[in-house]
Amino acid sequence: MATTTRPRTSSFSRNPLAGPTSQVPGLKPGPNGSVFISSGIPDLDRILGGGFCLGSLVMVMEDPEAPHHMLLLRNFMAQGLVHNQPLLYASPAKDPKGFLGTLPNPISSKDEKPRDHAAEQDKGLRIAWQYKKYFGENQQGHDSRDAKHEYCNDFDLRKPLERQFLGGKNIICVSTIDLTLETFRERCRTFLAQNSRNNGVMACASRIAIQSFCAPQCGYFDKHSEASKKSSLVPQFVKFIQLLPLRYLGVDHLGLLLSFQDWDMLAFIKSLKGIVQSSNSVAIITLKQFQACEHFLLSICIALPLTSNEDKELAKLLTGYQEMVGLLSIHKVARINTQVPLVLEASTFSIKLHKRRSLVLECLNQAPIDGSTGASYGTSGSCSGSTKQGALDF
Amino acid sequence: MAESLCRVLRDGALEGELAPALTIKDSILSPLGPHIFDHVLCQLSSFILAGKSQSRGLVLVAFSRSPSYYAALLKSRGSDTTDFDKWFWILDCYSDPLGWRHRLKESGAIRSCPDSSSGVTVCRDVRNLDKLLVEILELGKGLVGQGKDQFCIAIDSVTEMLRDVPLSSAAGLLSSVRSHEQVSCTLWTMLADVHSTSTVAAVEYLSSIVASVEGVTQQKGAQLGISDGLPLLQQNASQGRFRVRFKRRNGRVRLMLEDIHVEKSGITFLPVSSEEESMAQTLIPKVQFNLQLSEKEQMDRLKVVLPFEHQEKEKARRIYDGRRSLMDGQNGMTVEAEKPPVSENSGSGEIVYIRDSDDERPDSDEDPDDDLDI
Amino acid sequence: MDRSSQLLDEALGIVDDTSSMVSSSFPSSSVVLIEDCVETSGAFVIHHILKRSLSPPSSAAVVLVSLSHPFSHYDRILRKLVHTFALSLSFVLFSQGCNLAAHRDNRRFFFCDMLMVDFPRQGQGNVSKGGLIELYAKIQKVVEDISSSFGSGKCITIILDDFSLIEVAANGSLNHSLDFLRYCYALTSEFGLGLLVHTSCGGVYPLPSIQGCSLVILHHEDIYSAEESAALILQMEYLADVVIKAEPLATGLAADVHGQLTVLNKGIHDQLRSSKSKVHNFHFKLRENGVECFYPGTQA
Repeated sequence: MATTTRPRTSSFSRNPLAGPTSQVPGLKPGPNGSVFISSGIPDLDRILGGGFCLGSLVMVMEDPEAPHHMLLLRNFMAQGLVHNQPLLYASPAKDPKGFLGTLPNPISSKDEKPRDHAAEQDKGLRIAWQYKKYFGENQQGHDSRDAKHEYCNDFDLRKPLERQFLGGKNIICVSTIDLTLETFRERCRTFLAQNSRNNGVMACASRIAIQSFCAPQCGYFDKHSEASKKSSLVPQFVKFIQLLPLRYLGVDHLGLLLSFQDWDMLAFIKSLKGIVQSSNSVAIITLKQFQACEHFLLSICIALPLTSNEDKELAKLLTGYQEMVGLLSIHKVARINTQVPLVLEASTFSIKLHKRRSLVLECLNQAPIDGSTGASYGTSGSCSGSTKQGALDF
Repeated sequence: MAESLCRVLRDGALEGELAPALTIKDSILSPLGPHIFDHVLCQLSSFILAGKSQSRGLVLVAFSRSPSYYAALLKSRGSDTTDFDKWFWILDCYSDPLGWRHRLKESGAIRSCPDSSSGVTVCRDVRNLDKLLVEILELGKGLVGQGKDQFCIAIDSVTEMLRDVPLSSAAGLLSSVRSHEQVSCTLWTMLADVHSTSTVAAVEYLSSIVASVEGVTQQKGAQLGISDGLPLLQQNASQGRFRVRFKRRNGRVRLMLEDIHVEKSGITFLPVSSEEESMAQTLIPKVQFNLQLSEKEQMDRLKVVLPFEHQEKEKARRIYDGRRSLMDGQNGMTVEAEKPPVSENSGSGEIVYIRDSDDERPDSDEDPDDDLDI
Repeated sequence: MDRSSQLLDEALGIVDDTSSMVSSSFPSSSVVLIEDCVETSGAFVIHHILKRSLSPPSSAAVVLVSLSHPFSHYDRILRKLVHTFALSLSFVLFSQGCNLAAHRDNRRFFFCDMLMVDFPRQGQGNVSKGGLIELYAKIQKVVEDISSSFGSGKCITIILDDFSLIEVAANGSLNHSLDFLRYCYALTSEFGLGLLVHTSCGGVYPLPSIQGCSLVILHHEDIYSAEESAALILQMEYLADVVIKAEPLATGLAADVHGQLTVLNKGIHDQLRSSKSKVHNFHFKLRENGVECFYPGTQA
């Protein structure tokens, strides 16, 4: 509703967001009047053409065997905290606040030593940003990365986020254990409403991170699952949420999906999307999957086991297999304010650790295919997921 | 064949029998059912107007298309619109099937709401089948009166009806409509894809004539590649194969097949194209002998003089046909009515041949005991 | 410009009737169903229809019921869409993008923002029906307003974006969402009725030219994997006069081709206008200023 009331005088009026964003750290104007915030992973930002659009809802499909979704979640949250953006974190844990202690710390841009100018950081990143152009002149080589450095940090997964970032008042942690969907929705709504009121029009973009939305221990789960024990709803559910979000990421996983979710959850997501869209924030939701359900694989997930035991066959096919942590496949990138779709260079990327501490995404390097195996491990085209599944046979 | 279908509906029900019921069944790939329904409806209404049919009126239960559509349809097919409501009444289950609009209008949210008018009665609760049934019958009686006169009932989509109610009650409605004494005939359409096979079978069971529309391509399906899919889809949208199964009174089932084409002017029924026929003929397994004689062969066969009929050339052939005394009395006789052989050399052996009647063909399927009165 | 979207127009049955300045450019009382999937969005067809209905020579009014995007989203897209039409063979008029806000002020464009509306739901099993009935009331109210202020001859296009969210609103009840659809469908034969003829015995019958709203529905085809839910798609396809499927290329994504469209136009077996059913299949590429359609392999 809020967007419709925005006055439009001429057809060439500028997006009101476009002006202030250049001053606000952590926001970057994108095409068509959209505004990006960083996902906390520089490579992901690059792949998505700048980051997550404000107003988007990001779905992350969890891999039940590997907590890769936590990597995304952590970086997303840490980036928000670094930018002093309000954050709502919901998780089915008893004490969600503890999770904040596991967030990674940004790596100082220039040299490898960790950031020590804490005083400067206390005043916010604006100061550093102002000096950026001087730094840029001195820096050699990676100025492209440096130019947007303040927009998107590299994070050191081994170091916990420094305490001063956690001191902000705008961090809300919610445990979904005893929550009904109604109250949950209200929590999100009030959180976003508060922040847009406190911070004026566009001072900050809020972030919502919901971990394991469909986890069975959530308070709303049992109540609703009783009503919908029909397994036929499940594919619909997953498909729906795939279509609902503006952006959708599938983190590498086995595609073991099944959750007795029902329409109430869908309705929750739908209304969350509405709220997020109207309040210029970004929500990220990770979903858990339980049980194999074959026809999902055709349409949703690319499944590659890269967890503990090494897959010889895969290792043959993909170069650089040893360094991979996991795979990330992007299924849908919906765009705001334009009808032209974003054509990704590839839909599947490997997650690697750079110098054992920062996350890097790379296109899959495909080893020459052995004629006899025939199965193509192409990097693009999620529709080939089923064939992969068959060939891998896990 | 479409005519014979309409004729059956026109002739209606016999005393004490169920009214004939026509199910028109189509599918998403060849969605021509509504066109056939329209055709039959128009035929029926012209019969009614001409006074040729058993029924004197028609009640149309409109689920899937608007009353105005049907009014326009009948008008365009040349029916006289001046006194529609004397013989034609629409029960409108289309405009406000669940009563939403009525309620909304009463609460002031919207302004217009369909209202019953002359020729149209709006049904606001299609889920209540008992009420629906009563209403249908009331309307019919309103058209033809309480007496002996009969009317027909057309339901334009059983599919829509089945969406709202369970199969058993819908089937109950259909069968009680059929068995009502003042109902002359009934017809309805259904979209077969939407229902389970058991539902389709149940509705078919309730009807005496099942007309299904199939795509032309279904027959040839196996021979066509995927690349031909689009043109075929296009073809199916305007033409199809019309397969009708009559369940006759005496228990026989007659199957018929026709091609249908939907054109600007309406729907046309054509006999199955000869190409198809020849294809069908080649499908009959080749046999070493003929099962039937051609006409010429039959003529030749008649001319054959069997050895025991053969007598001396100059004498007339005389074959005893068992009615000697009669023949004698008539005296003069033709060659065809052969005379019994007059034995000249009595004492020698004699073959008496009784020729069977000529009018029956050899190997005919006709029951030899047909004329027996038992 | 070029024949960029001509194929799509043709397939949809939109004719630029330049000889007679008839208002209708989009066939009235028709139902258009757009089916898309995750890989290929079909939303651009909606934008195209919006564009065609609002820019000259058409004078139709549009009711857009949006459950998935805010007004600003459509507004921005529509501003960038450029559309050309020829008044005569020699004179080509370029029309700049279309300003939804201005059309909204002119009361030719109505936007029902359902994005933030939470449909009320009661406990399990007992599907609350209020939400969709209210939505229907809203639509009909707008339609009534249009036909009372512009006269009944106005063409009205109702666009539903998108139907899968109607299902969410119906709490997944197939029947309930179909009921809603049925009511919307009934609008296509009701408003903007042409001439009414009063017959001698008092009955009112319209002339064969039934002119009603046209209905455009975007639906996601691939949310149904289960057999039983396919019934909804089937019934919708059966109702529709034009079925448009947006699919990715069989060979996967390409930079120059964004997908393919299959358009099944069942044709209108109306008494006045009758067209033969046609099936079109072509590739498309989306641009900011429009959609480019071409037959496979014919892209310059």
